[in-house]
Amino acid sequence: MLHLVRTAAARLRELTRRSAVEAERDEEFRFHLEMEVELNRRRGLTDAEARRAALLAFGGVQRFREEASEARGIASLDKIARDTRFAVRRLWRSPTFSLGVVATLGVGVGAASAIGLLVYGVMLRPLPFPEPDRLVRVAFRTPGIDAGREHAHSHASFVHLRDAARAFSGFGAYHVNDAVNLTDPGDPQRVTAVMATPSVLTVLRVVPALGRPFAEHDAKETGTLPVLITHDLWRSRYGGDPGVVNGLIEINRRPRRVIGVLPAGFSFPVPASAVWFPLDVTVERAALDSRYLNVVARLRDGATLQEAGSELRAAIPRFPDRFPNISPADVERSDARAEVELLKDAIVAPVRQHMTFLGLTMLFVLLITVANVTNLFLLRAERLRHEIAITTALGAGSLALARRFVTEGIVLGAAAAVVAVPIVVAAVTSRFGFTSRDVPRLEEIALTPVWLVVVVLLLMLIATLVALVAFARGRRSRLSDAAQLRSTERTLTGGGWRRAQQVLVAMQVAVALALLLTASLMGRSLWNLRRVDLGFVPEQRATLEVTLPFRDYESYGQIAAFHANVLDRIRGIPGVAGAEAAREIPLIDENPEEPTLEFDAVGRETSQRASANVATPDYFRLMGIPVLHGRTFVSGDVRATMPAIVVSASLARALYGTTDVVGRAVRPPSPGSDDVLFRVVGVVGDVPRWRIEDGPASMAYFPLLRDADGVPPGGVRAPILMRSARYVLRSHLPVTQLAPAIRAGVRELDPRVPVTNFTSLEAMVDAATAGVRLTMLLLALASSAALLLGVIGVYSVVSYGVAGRRREFGVRLALGATPTRIQRTVLAEGARLAVIGAGGGLLAAAWGARIARSLLYGVSPTDPVLYATITAVSIAIAIGAALLPARRAGRLDPAEVMRGD
Amino acid sequence: MIVARVQSNEQVLQGTLDMLILKALSLAPMHGWGLTHRIEQLSSEALQVGQGSIYPALIRLEHRGWIDTEWRTTDNNRRAKYYRLTAAGRRALGDELASWRRFVAAVDLVMAASR
Repeated sequence: MLHLVRTAAARLRELTRRSAVEAERDEEFRFHLEMEVELNRRRGLTDAEARRAALLAFGGVQRFREEASEARGIASLDKIARDTRFAVRRLWRSPTFSLGVVATLGVGVGAASAIGLLVYGVMLRPLPFPEPDRLVRVAFRTPGIDAGREHAHSHASFVHLRDAARAFSGFGAYHVNDAVNLTDPGDPQRVTAVMATPSVLTVLRVVPALGRPFAEHDAKETGTLPVLITHDLWRSRYGGDPGVVNGLIEINRRPRRVIGVLPAGFSFPVPASAVWFPLDVTVERAALDSRYLNVVARLRDGATLQEAGSELRAAIPRFPDRFPNISPADVERSDARAEVELLKDAIVAPVRQHMTFLGLTMLFVLLITVANVTNLFLLRAERLRHEIAITTALGAGSLALARRFVTEGIVLGAAAAVVAVPIVVAAVTSRFGFTSRDVPRLEEIALTPVWLVVVVLLLMLIATLVALVAFARGRRSRLSDAAQLRSTERTLTGGGWRRAQQVLVAMQVAVALALLLTASLMGRSLWNLRRVDLGFVPEQRATLEVTLPFRDYESYGQIAAFHANVLDRIRGIPGVAGAEAAREIPLIDENPEEPTLEFDAVGRETSQRASANVATPDYFRLMGIPVLHGRTFVSGDVRATMPAIVVSASLARALYGTTDVVGRAVRPPSPGSDDVLFRVVGVVGDVPRWRIEDGPASMAYFPLLRDADGVPPGGVRAPILMRSARYVLRSHLPVTQLAPAIRAGVRELDPRVPVTNFTSLEAMVDAATAGVRLTMLLLALASSAALLLGVIGVYSVVSYGVAGRRREFGVRLALGATPTRIQRTVLAEGARLAVIGAGGGLLAAAWGARIARSLLYGVSPTDPVLYATITAVSIAIAIGAALLPARRAGRLDPAEVMRGD
Repeated sequence: MIVARVQSNEQVLQGTLDMLILKALSLAPMHGWGLTHRIEQLSSEALQVGQGSIYPALIRLEHRGWIDTEWRTTDNNRRAKYYRLTAAGRRALGDELASWRRFVAAVDLVMAASR
């Protein structure tokens, strides 16, 4: 024992002073050679002969070095190369084993790593700010009066709470506005802007890369307002020119001074933000409603979340002390409350459940991967049992054998990396198919080289550990090598492990089936969606978006005149067969700011919430929306005492129970106090609003007529002004070809109006089904992977069973059983696993589909035909995996098996 | 007359070479080259040590702690690595000798059998 320790110590010592040792050895050999040469010369040989003889006797220094290293036990690079070559050759000779391990490890660890990256990047990684665990969000709620966004503040609540609480070292408010136009220099561009107090940047401890941050006086600036721009905008629009700092740019046709550029990678609060404005939080009229500000704060050193929370809660009743406008009764009625939570928690909250679920999925995937691979290795060790026993009897040390298994493990791990790494890279590059709107912090996920190295090392580690485990179990009894050679009994594992294997494989089959079923349900939905009647004609139509600023477009008449002029110009472009405008067209991107109004039926108690649209008279004809009753707008409609309105069929039915409602009146809510009645002049066909799956939307159309020219503002009763508009044009030419002419036309009328979002309606319809398509694609990928792993799992478990029952089969064959009978027995085990797994999968799928019902369209979550076919196919595939071991069992030679005893 | 050639890859003879080296070193410390020729000399040229085997054997013995090394200057004013026996090595020499005697006795018994 002691000498082992000493040997190990000596080897370790030598490893550390390798080069010194080598130099010493060289000197020793040189001395030896010199002495031998001298001896030979004294015996009478010439110099050359003496040298040659000495070298011959010495046998070549290289061999020496090798043998000396051998004795020391340090593997030279040659040895590693040789070991690897042998390992590769051995693995090549067992293709089913090698491919099975590489596929399982590659797919399993690749998928698990990808999921792990996602969960880590979104949920676990701290926010990219200094001391991120001190950052909090302060939420303000008024359940008593529901006005404004969930946790948002009014100016009054922000100011009061900021001054009342002592627990914060910084307190800032911000608000996101995504309809801001950059007008100069270059093409007009619509961007997202953030209005923020200077304290927001100090709370986050973010310093501009160029220029200076906001100061307190910036918000009160009466001249040119200072703005900050983000790094991305600086690069894309201003070419990274540092001269833009302190220069002027034009936003919404007003000059602004750029005082700084925010650092690269800063994407708070939304990745699309481009410009920061200073926010003025002076309280003009203190109120607890009109809440729209988000508040972030930094806890003071030593302050806890609980302390901050109680301070804020204590401040609520003191609102009236600060703002006489707010009475204690107001505070009571609004049920105002303030809460503090970690900023990261607040950001991640919408997807926390999903991420946790994904995390569990990742662990599950790793578990079945390791179990499968262990199975395969144990199977192999079982098969090689005889070979190993013979090799050991002939004198190979256990160290040499272990080294062999380890090398194989490393080679397999490296091969699996070739499969796993592209999976991880593809998943991260495609952002897992999500958008920033679905998943917060998505843009923070990065695949650093560190992760890749970790994945590769993990693969090699798993493979090596499993190989060693299999090796260890195979070598459990050194003394009974001879007994091992003789016996054919399965010696490797007990019944407990076998049961566990079977359960895991059944679970794999279940998961594969559940995923397959869900994927096919989505596929069916997609098929249905593409066949639904949209209610309008997308072919040969294209759309573009135009946004008018406030200045110069304050009245209905000004707006209508602009649109009419531009549409005339567009109609004049060669190739354009017609152009109309509407505020909102079907299937555009979801925008929760789009207005809906509550319409009351006059003469009845019914009312219905519907989206309020504005359209030119020939819009319906251009879009192919049928006019079911009545007419569309004509001149004079908007100036009549009862202005005209056109409703969609579903709105008519909701209000009056029938679509024939021409002549009836509806009352939309009015901004002023006077009740304005609108007369229905026409009923048009339904179109979907945002998603095809949601079905037809109740919609009311107000007219956009140019005969309102010259009517003073307020003289036209229209609840909605169409400053942002979507033009639809009909042409056989692609919209990209028409774009320059359209831009020129708009520029002629007003060079500061941006023209954006050129797209064909067909592309828009495609995009509407993109979400379903993507989900289906992901599910299809996941289910194929799961099926592959399940098949490998079934194969390995059944093979394992066969290996253990060799003797039993041999006896039965010797006693007269037919090979077919044996095969059937084996297949029966495979079938048992498949059916049990399928049962679990069916239950899981039915339950899961019920939950995801909203994603399905036109197909029941438990569609029997679909379920039956897919289940049958899956069971067949799983049984197919058991065919190979079954055939092998049938081909057993009973004599050989018996002889082994 | 050469009776046997001691190669390094035969287990039994490997042990024998170790014993021979220990014995030679017990008489006087020596460098590697000197050892190969000393063993030859002690056996009256009957045993010729393969020059490839001596160094692995020496390293083995050094790992076991049975011999020690030291760089010295030879009589010809050259630097050489000298090996010498440790206390443990001296004890090991006694054990190896006993084993060897038993082995030889056993072989003799077999060879002397007439039935």
